[in-house]
Amino acid sequence: MTEIVMSQTPPILHGPSDKEKKYDRQLRLWAASGQAALESANILLVNSGCGTVGVETLKNLVLPGIGRFTIVDEAVVQNADLGVNFFLDETCLGKLRSKCCTELLQELNPDVQGEWFPKQPGTVDLDQILLNSPTYTLIMYTMPISSKDLAALKEYGQKHHTPLFAIHSAGFYSYFNIQLPGTFPIVDTHPEAERTIDLRLTKPWPELAHFAESMTKDMDQLDDHEHGHLPYVVLLLHYLEKWKETHDGKLPTEYKAKLEGEENFQEAVAAVNRNIKEQTLESTLGEVFSHEASGNVDAKSSFWVIARAIKEFHRKHGCLPLPGGLPDMKAQSSVYVKLQGLYKAKARKDSQEVLEIAKSLSGGEDVDSAEVDLFCKNASFVKLVNATTGDQDLTKTYEEQKENDSLAEVTMMPLSLFPIYLALSATTHEPAASVDQIKASAYSRLPAAADDMRISQACEEVARAAGGELHNISALTGGMVAQEAIKIITKQYIPIDNTCIFDGIASRCQILRL
Amino acid sequence: MPTMDLPEDTDPVVLLTYVSQAKVLMVGAGGIGCELLKNLALTGFGEIHIVDLDTIDLSNLNRQFLFRHEHIKKSKALVAKEAAESFNPNVKIEAHHANIKDAQFNLEWFRGFKLVFNALDNLEARRHVNKMCLAADVPLIESGTTGFNGQVQVIKKGVTACYDCATKDVPKSFPVCTIRSTPSQPIHCIVWAKSYLLNEVFGISEDEAAFDHSTDADNAKEIAELKKEAEALRIIRESVGTAEFPKMLFDKVFKADIDRLRSMEEMWQSRQKPEPLDYDVLKPKTPAVTPELLQDGQKLWSLEENLAVMNDSLDRLSKRVAELKAAGTAQPTITFDKDDGDTLDFVAAAANIRSSIFGIERKSRFDIKQMAGNIIPAIATTNAIVAGLCVLESFKVLQGEYEKTKEVFLSPFATQRLLSADKPQPPNPNCPVCSVYQTNVYVDLSRATLKDLVGDFVRLQLGYGDKELAVSTEAGVLYDPEEEDNLSKKLGELGIMQGTFVTIVDEDDDDVFVNVVLNIQEATQDSSQAQKEPTKESNGVNSDGDATVKDLKRAREDEGDVPPTKKAKTSGADDDDVVLVGDEPSTGGAILIDDD
Repeated sequence: MTEIVMSQTPPILHGPSDKEKKYDRQLRLWAASGQAALESANILLVNSGCGTVGVETLKNLVLPGIGRFTIVDEAVVQNADLGVNFFLDETCLGKLRSKCCTELLQELNPDVQGEWFPKQPGTVDLDQILLNSPTYTLIMYTMPISSKDLAALKEYGQKHHTPLFAIHSAGFYSYFNIQLPGTFPIVDTHPEAERTIDLRLTKPWPELAHFAESMTKDMDQLDDHEHGHLPYVVLLLHYLEKWKETHDGKLPTEYKAKLEGEENFQEAVAAVNRNIKEQTLESTLGEVFSHEASGNVDAKSSFWVIARAIKEFHRKHGCLPLPGGLPDMKAQSSVYVKLQGLYKAKARKDSQEVLEIAKSLSGGEDVDSAEVDLFCKNASFVKLVNATTGDQDLTKTYEEQKENDSLAEVTMMPLSLFPIYLALSATTHEPAASVDQIKASAYSRLPAAADDMRISQACEEVARAAGGELHNISALTGGMVAQEAIKIITKQYIPIDNTCIFDGIASRCQILRL
Repeated sequence: MPTMDLPEDTDPVVLLTYVSQAKVLMVGAGGIGCELLKNLALTGFGEIHIVDLDTIDLSNLNRQFLFRHEHIKKSKALVAKEAAESFNPNVKIEAHHANIKDAQFNLEWFRGFKLVFNALDNLEARRHVNKMCLAADVPLIESGTTGFNGQVQVIKKGVTACYDCATKDVPKSFPVCTIRSTPSQPIHCIVWAKSYLLNEVFGISEDEAAFDHSTDADNAKEIAELKKEAEALRIIRESVGTAEFPKMLFDKVFKADIDRLRSMEEMWQSRQKPEPLDYDVLKPKTPAVTPELLQDGQKLWSLEENLAVMNDSLDRLSKRVAELKAAGTAQPTITFDKDDGDTLDFVAAAANIRSSIFGIERKSRFDIKQMAGNIIPAIATTNAIVAGLCVLESFKVLQGEYEKTKEVFLSPFATQRLLSADKPQPPNPNCPVCSVYQTNVYVDLSRATLKDLVGDFVRLQLGYGDKELAVSTEAGVLYDPEEEDNLSKKLGELGIMQGTFVTIVDEDDDDVFVNVVLNIQEATQDSSQAQKEPTKESNGVNSDGDATVKDLKRAREDEGDVPPTKKAKTSGADDDDVVLVGDEPSTGGAILIDDD
């Protein structure tokens, strides 16, 4: 028998914290920074109608752990609610829907704070609530909504720079629309991993060029193992250099695989098309630069200070700061580690230079180096959402959609879902309007629609729903709305711009800027 | 003139009747399952069965909203049923805390459902349900999510592609020598710590699946050495729980084994030699293990910190072994679980120490958890979208409108089309799972031999004649031109039971038949079917024989043939289709077939 040694000290708290464990699967998507943003978010839901889509959306935000939420909802729970709202049961009948939903949502996640209005059955004064509450990070409202409340929310959104989400679900149809207060830059866009690899093969910096040269100068003398373990980065740099020697220092304009040999040579061939390219700016970053030049930006925001610094860096060097990552490749581990070190060191140096430029700019004194690092790492993929301002012209959008539809048979593209938006939005204030009322409202907004059969059919379908929500459609829509809300709160990934229309009959959706 | 997609031919009352009368099965009560159960209940589905073998874990609570903190370690299926019923008393839910692969969930049971929903998280179970639904001819709605990505697919035998029509990626395995002798990447050291070291010390010896054991002349000697090494480690295992154990283990795997590797000069001609570590030098430098150290999963631990964490986790794991022994378990084992902090700390620290020895970069515990645990990111929003899409597809399936079903994808990178819906793919005529000819065979397992099955049934009945063929079950090959030893054995002795699938593969080069899958049904000599239809045997053989051969001919693309599964009869077990075969017809025969 072996002796068991039992420790006498009391057990200490082991392993990652409970919170880290609970949120582990989502931290893999938006990391601690995204989680912190969620946890400080304060969200308002102005709920109405059947109220399902609003509550389903909140459910999907309470689970991942937003800081707090408030439900404003005048309704008292009725029998009809029980059929479409999962969280309400018979014991809720006759009670305030806002209170019942708040309590049941809070049960889902004790870390989240919940608040509801009104406190007593009756009407609510939305202006008072907005005035007396801590600033909301994001506001969602469901249709139907009164013109007065809508105006109050829009005013609040402008004043406090609060994004607004309009959500409408009826029958098999739904849409949601995101109204952002001005341009919305996103640095951490999470591009697909293979797109982010930047090896600088056409423009190696001296240390990298020297390293490649030293490894390949007696290439033919290497033994088989060493030859078979030359990293493909080194191989490509070597052959590009040889090409330039015989072509007046110019780069090849066309690449055909001519290398044959061991696995590392095959890797090199595979990497040619992906990794040898002229340094060009991604169009999204070009948009950021030109927007910066327009002067129509908040000069004090750290985003725009760093953007200016990066633009200056680009002007000076003809390329962006190096992201610094190196993909896996066949190589001896000591060589790989050295190569990795070269890329990391260059990325640090570039980031440092950007930081120095930023600090020299007005408003850049307090720029944070971590923010600069992140920006440099993602520079190619920084995205500006809501860059174009001003109201979209509904007639113009409609004409464009009709034009696309007329070519649909040739292009094999699905038909536009614009009619669903037009028909649903005709019931923004009047959910149970008649077919004629819905059509009249739609045609008054868009006279050209009067003889469009698809719009007429969509209006009939919306009238048939009579403002009623189907749980399944609202649950699905709530998933989509919450997904976009998370992107906006965490400022990660690219949110839709700006309206998503869902057709539950065809199981598809379309994004339009409206 | 283009029109809207309208549900005009979908009478809401008719649809509601279909829905309320449908008895459906939901396999998996996790992320998609919780959402789906809610949606099904509120859509008015009449009867919902849930099967899930899993229990609730803390890391589920960020999305599986039917579960609360107090439900941790309880059955997902049972808690989901209780939660959904409490909100909706009208719905009839039956829950099974069991593995869907269990024998109780046989074809007969599957046939009892109008529709099956897969809400699973692993390939193996998905494949199993796919196979069962094809064999039972029950439509299946398959779904899955990874982070912001998701997918929904309708699977109907003979109409749409099945889950296995497109090949799926299988988990990667590493050559054993890379893991044990010549690691060059962090993942090699992580696999070593998780699948070798942890298992040898606390688990059930080597995790075979993680390694590729193929030997050749070059590595035969090294593999023999590695076996000796593992045996030596098993002896050290005897000392788990003693004060000397941490040093014994360290000296073995981070010193003695490394010294042995270093002595193999030819191995290091072009690689950097590993550097062994000395416990007595390193130990005095290790910091105290504080909660702060253990809680910061993002931090890159130093070598000394790794040793501190390793010894601390060894202490925790040893105590668990002692407790299990005290509770009466003779040979307690602990296996890796990414959400079990003790095993994760051990794997992270041991992997990092090994990385230091081989000059490989170290990783944070957060990263190691992902690499070792095969973690798939999961959030509430994607699950809500996918579950909603599953229900929308179910409406079309219930009404038999397969031409309207869609294969829907969600992708965060296609911001212009959050959801994209495509027409379902047709079945792949070469799919090893769905493009096979399936049939039920009634067999007296205690009497029928493999020879009866191959000679009389396959060759005569199915018309294989003297074709070269192979017969196999999940357990392996039973018969092929080089393997005839089993012919005289009884089917029962070969592991064939009620519900076993036996696959017949034509090995001829010309006029190749499609694969045939026999679903074995047990029937004794005096089974009613055999008695009732004793005269069918000769008739059945001849009349069905020609049709069968035609059905089995492999579709040829150049001739535009319809895949044979489409030709197969789809009627259920009908007495008229029962055919009796066997070389002793007078005694009732040993094998019966019914066309499925």
